Amino acid sequence: MSQAVKPPSLWTNMRELPANVWHSLFRNPLPSDDLQRSSTSFTNFFLHIHPVKVNKNTLRPIYTMGLGLMSFFLFLILVVTGVLLMFYYVPSTTQAYDRMLDLRGTVAFGIFLRNMHRWSAHGMVGVVVLHMCRVFFTGSYKKPREFNWVIGVILFLLTLFSSFTGYLLPWDQLAFWAITVGTSIAAYAPVVGKDIQFLMLGDATVGQEALLRFYVLHVAVLPVIVTLLVAIHFWRIRKDGGLSRPEETATPVAVSVKAVELKKNKTYGLQGFVRGPFTKIGNTPDNSVFAWPNLLIAELFVFILTLAAILTLSMMFNAPLEEPVNVMHPPNPAKAPWYFLGLQEMVSYSAFWGGVGIPTIFVLLLLATPYLDRRTAGVGKWFARERLLANTIFMTFLIVNVVFVIIGTFFRGPNWEFVSPWK
Amino acid sequence: MRLALAIASFVVLIVHGLVFYQQFFHKWENYQTAYFDQARALSKTDAEKAALTARSPRIEQSLVTKFGENRVDRCITCHLAMDDPRFKDHAQPLRTHPYTAGMGDVQVNGKWERRHKFADFGCTVCHDGQGRGLQEHYSHGEDEYWPDPLAGYIVQANWRKDFSTKLKGKDYMQSNCAQCHTEENFAGTALVDRGRKLFFANNCYGCHRIEGLSEGTLGPDLSEVGKKFKIDYLWESIVEPRANLATSFMPQFHLSEQDVKALVIFLKSRRGVNFSETSLQRYRASLNAKRPPEGAAEPVALQGAALISSGEKLVTDHACTACHKLGSRDGGIAPDLSFEGLMKNESWILEHFKNPPSKIPDSIMPTFRFPAADFQAMSTYLASLKTPPPMPTPADTFKELCQRCHGEKGDGHGPIAIYLDPYPRDLTKAGFINSKPVERLQNSIKNGVAGTSMPSWGQVLNDNQIQGVLQYVFTTYTKEPRKEITARKVPEKNPVAASAESMARGEDTFVRRCSGCHGRKADGKGPNSLDILPRPRNLRNTAFVDSVSDRRLFESILYGVQGSAMPSWIDYGLSQNEVGDLVNFIRGINARSAARK
Repeated sequence: MSQAVKPPSLWTNMRELPANVWHSLFRNPLPSDDLQRSSTSFTNFFLHIHPVKVNKNTLRPIYTMGLGLMSFFLFLILVVTGVLLMFYYVPSTTQAYDRMLDLRGTVAFGIFLRNMHRWSAHGMVGVVVLHMCRVFFTGSYKKPREFNWVIGVILFLLTLFSSFTGYLLPWDQLAFWAITVGTSIAAYAPVVGKDIQFLMLGDATVGQEALLRFYVLHVAVLPVIVTLLVAIHFWRIRKDGGLSRPEETATPVAVSVKAVELKKNKTYGLQGFVRGPFTKIGNTPDNSVFAWPNLLIAELFVFILTLAAILTLSMMFNAPLEEPVNVMHPPNPAKAPWYFLGLQEMVSYSAFWGGVGIPTIFVLLLLATPYLDRRTAGVGKWFARERLLANTIFMTFLIVNVVFVIIGTFFRGPNWEFVSPWK
Repeated sequence: MRLALAIASFVVLIVHGLVFYQQFFHKWENYQTAYFDQARALSKTDAEKAALTARSPRIEQSLVTKFGENRVDRCITCHLAMDDPRFKDHAQPLRTHPYTAGMGDVQVNGKWERRHKFADFGCTVCHDGQGRGLQEHYSHGEDEYWPDPLAGYIVQANWRKDFSTKLKGKDYMQSNCAQCHTEENFAGTALVDRGRKLFFANNCYGCHRIEGLSEGTLGPDLSEVGKKFKIDYLWESIVEPRANLATSFMPQFHLSEQDVKALVIFLKSRRGVNFSETSLQRYRASLNAKRPPEGAAEPVALQGAALISSGEKLVTDHACTACHKLGSRDGGIAPDLSFEGLMKNESWILEHFKNPPSKIPDSIMPTFRFPAADFQAMSTYLASLKTPPPMPTPADTFKELCQRCHGEKGDGHGPIAIYLDPYPRDLTKAGFINSKPVERLQNSIKNGVAGTSMPSWGQVLNDNQIQGVLQYVFTTYTKEPRKEITARKVPEKNPVAASAESMARGEDTFVRRCSGCHGRKADGKGPNSLDILPRPRNLRNTAFVDSVSDRRLFESILYGVQGSAMPSWIDYGLSQNEVGDLVNFIRGINARSAARK
């Protein structure tokens, strides 16, 4: 019989304590072979959202431009800076503006946090739109990714609404009148318009109730919903077989002997649940590479790039803070936040159609897109010739919107009359 | 990829460094260190020196809680030597705040003691500026969004250059002194007091309301004007009333720079609720304002000369000459009253006083709320003014009587013309003058034009003089020789019976054809009206419409008004019946003329 294993002495335990703690935290050494690379991705909580192997197409910078990740990282920056700002902010009409002054003048890093939060919020609206364009122009919303597109559209709307609710919080003239304009656009909806406005403001005009409502929506309700939907958005990418890519025309290399042998191996029961394409494990020659380090380094790059851009912007430009609210003295023109200026511009032609009719149709069209366009050709390619019609329609909508936003931002002066910005 | 990653990481690092530097090294720390060093050099005892050595820079602030609304003033973070008399000759920010007896400071045993202690009052209550800021740019209010920059010290970059230098000077702080020192004749608020007097002397009170002071309704309420606007806006609004609102009819008063300054300071001191009075005091004041002062004796009914002289005093006291001309005093805004008794009778003047638009619908004269007895006395006085000016020649006549409105060149742009509605006739327009019969022109001079500022000169001028001045106008201004007037085929009386259907048809035609200039309400303020001179006629001016015959209305519509923008509608296919409907509509909207029929 074997001798009973002698328990390690206390001294050994103590000596090995740092190493043991370290190894229980980081179970894998820096991977040096393919097995370790797989298990690194597989066993780490933060990394297991990644597949072990990703298609090379996913890593082409020109294909995704990292826009989805960029939106996510901006959201992370927003959460972190937002939580820090919450320590100083009071959603009260008498205190909010004073708190802004304190952030600007007295609180250490206050103005910098506010700048980062402000520019990240504007950036996120822009990047989310670009991300949506990327997905559309590469036809990535098609089967089986229809539902993820729908979630994406909802996330886009939530991004706009989060930014809009945050706009009011500084409680300066800019905030007050932008929200006054924005919520009165909502009031143009037939039948329920006035009720929606009342529900948002809690009053007939923007005041303490509106500030509190916007605050709660901005710091609690919307971020929670966005977090949940982002999680689903990511999870669905995995379940839908990774990012979209062009159909592989032919297997690059003839199946080798090793792959044939692989067929004899036991297939894992769990993988039987996975529908659709999934990443193969083994030495099957295909177009995929290990997520560690290829995907990770790409993600890190996007993160650092995003952070560097936001930090530089926050260093160079201060978030605007205008006069304290003066209910009796509206600025002329009173403008909504820039991403709603397209709406405001359209409202100047027709209140109902510009403010409610066309935007509603536009959103419904976006939501229905993957169910209306069922052809599978041209997926995974920028501006595929097969998708000329769909891309042209989308591009037209996009350009019209952008032009309206530009007109509303730069070419509208007092009484919403046309002015030249170069004068 | 890896190189790009390295560069991006480096940028992140650099920005972090910069941000940390920015956030941890403050200008105010240098000021405080400088203060500690210099104070240590000046201090006499070791204990004092040790205390200063022990101090390290930190944010200093006064929290004002017992005076007005709560404020946080961090000004003393930089201005640390405010209460240290040893620093009275140092450069800012380390200079002692001056001690003056004028501010109520007293000397006790050779040491000054402040009346307004910074711990109690803070700084911004007198100086304005932004108490919470720690950077000069923001805390001094140089930032254009800050509503109250340091009063009298800071001129914001976007203020108008032509008068922004005049907005400097410690005097501007008086508007803040007046928040608590509300009593008139307070020595420290001399300019506020002067501004208040000017507010009455220039008849601002006639149009503007200031709670507790005046009840005017024509212009904006100024009760909280000091809270809403910065001093540059106030200055601009006084010297150029149309700078911000092109359609404003506020007269441009001819004030000296010192007077404008005093008015600006006075207006800046109007902030609505005053934190030196309690809500109870305020409520009591509003109750008392509605009640006539107790024990006021019933005014003795005056007669004859006494009535006239009391009227004269009232006209002087109420500052009528801030706008009108009366004898040697001339406000340069409203008509000459020097011989009013020759042009208007007493009852007309009295009715006009009570409600100016009832006589001249588009008059800008405010409706004053004086007691009826005062109106009576003033009317009697004005009606007693019956001495015409000497005018030996027609040229003198024009100069004395006509030039104020019709202008030196006779082109209708007289000095007070912009305040008159309808605008004075342009006498150089031969198209108009030569297309009207001489009798009509004579009649306009002799009997005036109803509903407008053209008075009847029949009692001032005899028929010969009227002929003379008319000839003078023809030769000097109109210049073109008169021609035979073409006879038009126009009905004397409206052939279309005035019925509801006819008026409805007329309204329909009016909205389609006429409203572009005359406006949908027919008040002469259509969208095109601003570009037209003479302005389109206000067809709701009942006095005027009543004074015009059907024939003239027909002629003006069918054949147009030469020398004006009114076209000949016969060329645009209006039939006589349609014009009849229009005339019925125009008569119908002037209620009195409808009743006459």
